[in-house]
Amino acid sequence: MENALLPKKAKLVKTEDLSPDVKLLRVRLENGAFSKNDQGLAFNPGQFMLLGVWGYGESPFGPSSYPYEAGFVDFGVRNVGVVTKHLHELEVGDAVTLRGPFGNGYPLNLMEGKDIVMVTGGCGIPPIASLIEYLIKNRKSFGKIYLIYGAATPDNLLFRDSYSRWQKEIEVILTVDKPIPGWKGCTGFVNAHLDKVKVNPSNTIVAACGPSPMAAALAKTLGEMGIPKRQFFVSEERRMSCGIGRCQHCTCGDKYVCLDGPVFSYDQVEGVWD
Amino acid sequence: MAKIIPEKEISSLAKSLAKTSTVYAPISKNGEILFDEISDSSNLALTYTQTPLPPKMYFLPANEDLFKVTDDVVKEAVSPSPFVVFGLNLKDLSAINYLDKIMKKEPEDSFYLQRRNAATLIAITESTVGSHNGSDLTLEKRNGSYLAHSFTEKGNKLLELTLFKEGFAEKKIEEPKPNHFDELLLDSNLLAQAVEWSRENSPGTWEALGKICLSCGICTYVCPLCFCTSTEDKTSLDGSVCTRCRKWDACTLPRFAQIAGGHNFRPTQKERYYNWFYHKFVRGYKEFGQVQCVACGRCQKYCPAGIDIEKILTKLVDDYKNAHTKKP
Repeated sequence: MENALLPKKAKLVKTEDLSPDVKLLRVRLENGAFSKNDQGLAFNPGQFMLLGVWGYGESPFGPSSYPYEAGFVDFGVRNVGVVTKHLHELEVGDAVTLRGPFGNGYPLNLMEGKDIVMVTGGCGIPPIASLIEYLIKNRKSFGKIYLIYGAATPDNLLFRDSYSRWQKEIEVILTVDKPIPGWKGCTGFVNAHLDKVKVNPSNTIVAACGPSPMAAALAKTLGEMGIPKRQFFVSEERRMSCGIGRCQHCTCGDKYVCLDGPVFSYDQVEGVWD
Repeated sequence: MAKIIPEKEISSLAKSLAKTSTVYAPISKNGEILFDEISDSSNLALTYTQTPLPPKMYFLPANEDLFKVTDDVVKEAVSPSPFVVFGLNLKDLSAINYLDKIMKKEPEDSFYLQRRNAATLIAITESTVGSHNGSDLTLEKRNGSYLAHSFTEKGNKLLELTLFKEGFAEKKIEEPKPNHFDELLLDSNLLAQAVEWSRENSPGTWEALGKICLSCGICTYVCPLCFCTSTEDKTSLDGSVCTRCRKWDACTLPRFAQIAGGHNFRPTQKERYYNWFYHKFVRGYKEFGQVQCVACGRCQKYCPAGIDIEKILTKLVDDYKNAHTKKP
């Protein structure tokens, strides 16, 4: 009987500063490659894994890397708590642990043949970055593809090295709250830039990762554009401990974010009291 | 399979079992009846309403080591020896049955199940025992003796002890009657609807409870069916051994839904207290088809703020019914 709480041994093979408080951590399993799912992916973009360090604990992260890659996964980790502070202190070669992937991820099958709009802010981009890699790999299966990505300042935008490659295949709209001299992108909230998106509303899927006020604002604007809530998918964040639907930390009303999510269509989570 | 054991031999049965394995049973200690490991000198107290801590602690301990890591080698910390829980009442037994269901849901909780598999459950009751009730052996009180019903291989093995005799005893004692709380729990669906309805339609109830509740978590610790946990890593002083521990948590505690960075998804006690009810009577019902309460009464007995969930449920159900009765 496999013990779902027993993490796999892994190690850091690369670290890189993505912003003043976010690091990219590349993780390889000690005993071989990541197993692939029915679609040939090491994880579905939007699924999460529990990355941990013995002695400190585990935290949930949505991998940011190319999901067909089975040799390693990348995480964008913001230094914000006990586990992440320690993860930031690690060096290449150090031991970490992994459990997962858990949860559902973005609805890849539903996205096929449709226009795709991705919206995220700050350090919500890692799972979206992985989704972008998936969409680009299968570019012909989708219509128009947009990314609207916002951050406080240009320095806080993550994965900056990828934008020029992404822009060859998809429309990338970057926006910041506080521009600096020489900033060529947009300013203001992500929501304010949905007017730049030219899609067929009835044939569009929106994928977002961000806090609930952002999702609520997006749902309103998308509604005005004719994109219904059931076509708008958002990744929910909650405290996680077990990752397998038992410890009760991640519940959202009658749903478990770890099992039923973390990605929900907005009509499933809108107005949920919890 | 059933055999007879005289009432006066029950203590001897427990103590003879304790010679070969650990036996936990209700004993009288400092004026209270509680579950503890018994020895020859223990004062068994088999007539009791409820113990302060529920027997879930033998399967899901308040603190348990899950993994030990020494020199990069990870070992599961649990390897339980066989043990007996003796003298369970039927409410605690049904709570264990429900916890079994929760912990067996895929992916299984192997730590809980290893302990459950190592355990023999011996229940004691004045009610007539019918079909398999989830125990290995149930001792049914008869006139001057107990009728011992075995439901498993472990139970059959116990009946081979010479303390048990072939025979029959008349049932002369009165069948215990369900109380109001027991009857309230019979309609899981109604309770789920009333609790869900009450959040928007009886907000005053939850406002008031949010003010009274001290957010101490005691109701969840004494509940035989609450199973929220958190994990925590501990490292030895010299750093050579790391232990991942799991401990009881409580959804009524202020930081239960707080994430790194400080955001709290349930910032008020009102929301946390409602969530406790919501889990037991709505989420749990939707997930497993039955409310997660056995009417043992511990939470109301030990709540330092005197919150009585039977009264709350009664009021919510009444309000819900009134609101849904067609007025002429």
